[in-house]
Amino acid sequence: MSAPGSGPGPSPRPSPADAPRDAPPARAPVFSLGDLSVHFGGRPALSGVSLDIPRGRIVALIGPSGCGKTTLLRALNRMNELIPGARTTGSVRFDGAELYRPETDPVEVRRRVGMVFQEAALFPGSVFDNVAFGPRASGFKGDLHALAEEVLTAAGMWADLGQDPDVPAASLSAGQRQRVCIARALAVRPQVLLLDEPTSALDATATARIESLIHSLLPRLTVVLATNDLRLAARSSSVTAYVDRGELVEYGPTETLFTNPSDERTESYLTGRVR
Amino acid sequence: MKAFRHQGAIAGVCSLAAGVTLAAGMTLLAVLLVQARGVLDFGFLLGAPSRFAAQAGVGPALAGTLWLTLLTAALACPVGVGAAVYFEEYAPRTRATRAIESAITTLAGVPPVVFGVAGLALFVRGLGLGPTVLAGGLTLAMLALPTVLATSKEAIRQVPSGVRTAAYALGATRWEVIRRQVLPAAAPAIVTGVTLALARTAGAAAPLLVIGAASFINYAPGTPGDPLTALPTQVFAWSARSQPGFAAVAASAAVVLLAVLLLLHLVSLALRRRLSKAAR
Repeated sequence: MSAPGSGPGPSPRPSPADAPRDAPPARAPVFSLGDLSVHFGGRPALSGVSLDIPRGRIVALIGPSGCGKTTLLRALNRMNELIPGARTTGSVRFDGAELYRPETDPVEVRRRVGMVFQEAALFPGSVFDNVAFGPRASGFKGDLHALAEEVLTAAGMWADLGQDPDVPAASLSAGQRQRVCIARALAVRPQVLLLDEPTSALDATATARIESLIHSLLPRLTVVLATNDLRLAARSSSVTAYVDRGELVEYGPTETLFTNPSDERTESYLTGRVR
Repeated sequence: MKAFRHQGAIAGVCSLAAGVTLAAGMTLLAVLLVQARGVLDFGFLLGAPSRFAAQAGVGPALAGTLWLTLLTAALACPVGVGAAVYFEEYAPRTRATRAIESAITTLAGVPPVVFGVAGLALFVRGLGLGPTVLAGGLTLAMLALPTVLATSKEAIRQVPSGVRTAAYALGATRWEVIRRQVLPAAAPAIVTGVTLALARTAGAAAPLLVIGAASFINYAPGTPGDPLTALPTQVFAWSARSQPGFAAVAASAAVVLLAVLLLLHLVSLALRRRLSKAAR
């Protein structure tokens, strides 16, 4: 696993043009996708997606339900291969290295690219048990309690818990559970956090808390956010991708995409028109 | 209004059914206890079988059944749960896997006496163990295995997939996911399955009779290599005797067998409580 603090670090001022070649320059994209396709049992879920994900930003993935947002997200930490019959082709470069080489360990990938799901599936036990799971699984030898306090504070949960991480996870509200899920993901010290519809089960207040939490993670982390909440996407992200029927329709600065989409399909989606 | 009356009728029929079930159980127990009256005492529990009903005891058979249950659990649990983990978490979802799985499920319905015949050929003669406690334990473990496997598989399958996905997403290896999330969450249900399997084997007389359980052993088996004796076969042997008094002795042994099963269920209940408290 990546040692604590070995991520991109509190980072990038615009780096000099003569940055070393072997280490990816701070401004280099975290992910570079080239002609990425994913099939499930021969059925295409994602076809020919090529895009770069900028470092230290929030990237939103929007599109109708079942369009392939989740598949695209899961392609970034090799979660698709847990589904029987999944086949991935094309290229995903993460920090310049190909993610889908046979010698790349998907477990290692998932430690560097964390993920939070729509349904806050907490583990049985306490909040601490949840937060400690990832570090324990990756052989963390340091002070788990200090780590738990740190990530729960980062997720805005430390005060909610009354500074007691031994609270049963099942006793929390939906919004709190989702923040524990984020804290749990942060405990592995990822460089990237993938969020799959993190607010779809939450009310406006809980959503707002998640939103400010996501912002507080920048620029140390890169966040990729798949969401059906267009306002959340518009408010929080700097770049947005519109995905439809497994294809990347449009990708660009959030403001441009939302105010002046270049593709008709994006526009009809954003305006809620049925095609 | 009509629907309401209808509901009342259904509730009535169901509570009647529940009452009949309870009454049947109570009657069974009452009949046994009445018959066992005067025989069932401390001396009976510890004493050895005898030609004379008045001196007969159930000690060796009780010790035999405790040995057998222990051996069955020790042999069937790791193999059964391990195989369940393999089928649910590791095995490729191919037609061959499914065929093997359904074959094993079918085994759970095979009559115990058939396992006795197999145990006689395999362990008593094949391995040359003779009619010993160990041969009995191995035979009963075979009998318990399909049930342990089937119920453990079901228990593992019941673990929400979100828990697995979340654990993988945190960079856990498959084994970490199984060891730290899947097995702890499935443990209470696995214990239930193991208990059912052990209750079935602890009460099985047929396979032990086939492999040659003795009914007149006057010392309690101290090691798995000692001659095989057990409560169900002892009940069978005594109830087959025509001399007066043996009916009461057989009933008393049956009560002891029931007590062993009750104890088994109590241990299982306590274990389940602890496990689900840990998993909450």
